[in-house]
Amino acid sequence: MQPLRIALVQLAPRLGDVEANVALHRARLAEAREAGADLVVFPELGLTGYLLQDLNAEVAMRLDDPRLAALVAETAGLSAVIGFVEESADHRLFIAALLAEDGVVRHVHRKVFLANYGLFDERRFFGAGAQVRAVASRLGVGVGLGICEDFWHLSVPQLLALDGAQLLINISSSPGRDVAAVNEAGLGTASSWRTMMRAYAQLTTSFVVFVNRVGIDESISFWGGSEIIAPSGATILQAPLFDEGLYVAEIDLADLRRERIALPLLRDERPEVTLRQLERIVRERAGEAPDATAEPGAEPGFDLASPAAGPTASSAAER
Amino acid sequence: MSAPGPAYELPAELVIDTAVARRIAVDFIRGQLRQAGFERLVLGLSGGIDSALVAYLAAEAVGPQRLLCALLPYRTSAPASRADAESVVAALGCPSRLIEISPLVDAYYGASEAGVAAEVGALGPEGREATPRRRGNLMARVRMAILYDLSAAWNALVVGTGNKTEALIGYTTIYGDNACAFNPIGDLYKTQVRQLAEAMGVPEGIIRKAPSADLWPGQTDEAEVGFEYADVDRLLFWLVDRRRSEDELLALGFDTVTIERVTGMVAAAEFKRQVPPVAKMSSRTTGVDYLYPRRRPGSARPPG
Repeated sequence: MQPLRIALVQLAPRLGDVEANVALHRARLAEAREAGADLVVFPELGLTGYLLQDLNAEVAMRLDDPRLAALVAETAGLSAVIGFVEESADHRLFIAALLAEDGVVRHVHRKVFLANYGLFDERRFFGAGAQVRAVASRLGVGVGLGICEDFWHLSVPQLLALDGAQLLINISSSPGRDVAAVNEAGLGTASSWRTMMRAYAQLTTSFVVFVNRVGIDESISFWGGSEIIAPSGATILQAPLFDEGLYVAEIDLADLRRERIALPLLRDERPEVTLRQLERIVRERAGEAPDATAEPGAEPGFDLASPAAGPTASSAAER
Repeated sequence: MSAPGPAYELPAELVIDTAVARRIAVDFIRGQLRQAGFERLVLGLSGGIDSALVAYLAAEAVGPQRLLCALLPYRTSAPASRADAESVVAALGCPSRLIEISPLVDAYYGASEAGVAAEVGALGPEGREATPRRRGNLMARVRMAILYDLSAAWNALVVGTGNKTEALIGYTTIYGDNACAFNPIGDLYKTQVRQLAEAMGVPEGIIRKAPSADLWPGQTDEAEVGFEYADVDRLLFWLVDRRRSEDELLALGFDTVTIERVTGMVAAAEFKRQVPPVAKMSSRTTGVDYLYPRRRPGSARPPG
């Protein structure tokens, strides 16, 4: 089996300037082709920049947008993952990633988990995707796409692996923060992502590709540190922090087969158990079934008994 | 001071990776300039550690020839401050301007100090009664006005030099020393500024000396505010960065009086950290529901 050559592009997009970013993508695609890459991975919102706010509608592209089509047309003989703002036919805006192969769009993933806390405000400006699915690829393995926050939720890598992905790809615009010296690489964000990606690779016995942008949007510095992790959790490639560039490494799919046979976690996975428990939990949270962990006397869907129904209310009434 | 050992107290939780902080700050400066369509910077160099550090970062980001350091002393400013500022200029090899602000400030309040002709200023006789706080605020705003004038003359952006400690507790003059196009060290506490300054090679005398706004002779930040930076930085770190409640802060060893004093200062200074509110009347209001990044296609200054 031929090794797979993967190029990770740590791009610094120009905020809101689609034309300039298309040009950056084209140049890096050509460079990756030159380097013999089978797969080229660009970061989240690489075609638009991250901190868009009300620019969201101005940079949004339908899948038939000529600028997108021209870029997709340049993927003859290779696969590319590209991040952009997708506008649906009914004018919803999504943070999206497409997989283009041999000049056609094979798959579009819309970010399911929009970050909306701390420095993030994505749900104000974007709709949330509702599908997590793996897709067959010309690379000969199933591919699963996630976008940044999607991989802060355990369900996404697990669903992708169960659905047949052997290559989990997360594209990110991760803002660097917490420069405390105790953190790995001096950056709290890097510590977290490195830990998670190794865990996902091992727990799903899959290759994990993480591509994070670099550069500055407003106050935010994006930290790069893109990686390829083997199903064993071993690091195949670790790109430098903050540097713009294209980083190439090879993966051997025989390693994945070996790992899955030696450590048959996926074979032994029990999705039907998960599904039944999730159905129960969802019903309990919706108040449609009694909640085993709720206080006695709690209303359906609530964990705590209402104070109004308890002794506190009656003693208050006596005063 | 002949005592060897650390130049300052450094609580463990405030230790930063200076290589990463330096990289972020330098790339941030370059990014801000590129997005705005500028190539040069101007800053007010006081002789203190904050502006010295920013000068070092700016020189690294754009080269010393593209950094103009403005020395803006008032006649009561300590001569040692000016000497320290000059040592930074000499070490970096950047262009500098020395502009005395005394005539500007005195033209408003009048000159009432001993040994100076007692003249009434533009404000009238009342000017002589102005408190040190008022005078200090005007000095800060006169310096700001000069920096913005120099920025136009020099085709440069004004780079900010305020740190996180002073922004949080409000030890800063709104539209004075906190006015800038962008600030590369505004998320570093004073004790972290010292670490980065040490890593950048800022002269040790500047790192070791007692921080001072230098608005009157002998003034020091710590005497004026009433606590040491190492202590207030630790408290702010647990309060702001680590979201600890008052009870949890007490359990960490902080005392009630300090906690209440500092949280009160932080709350009272909120207005200094935000854009002033606009009365909403229309369907789309700047800063409320018209939200754009500061820099986007078309917003960079046209070349030439």
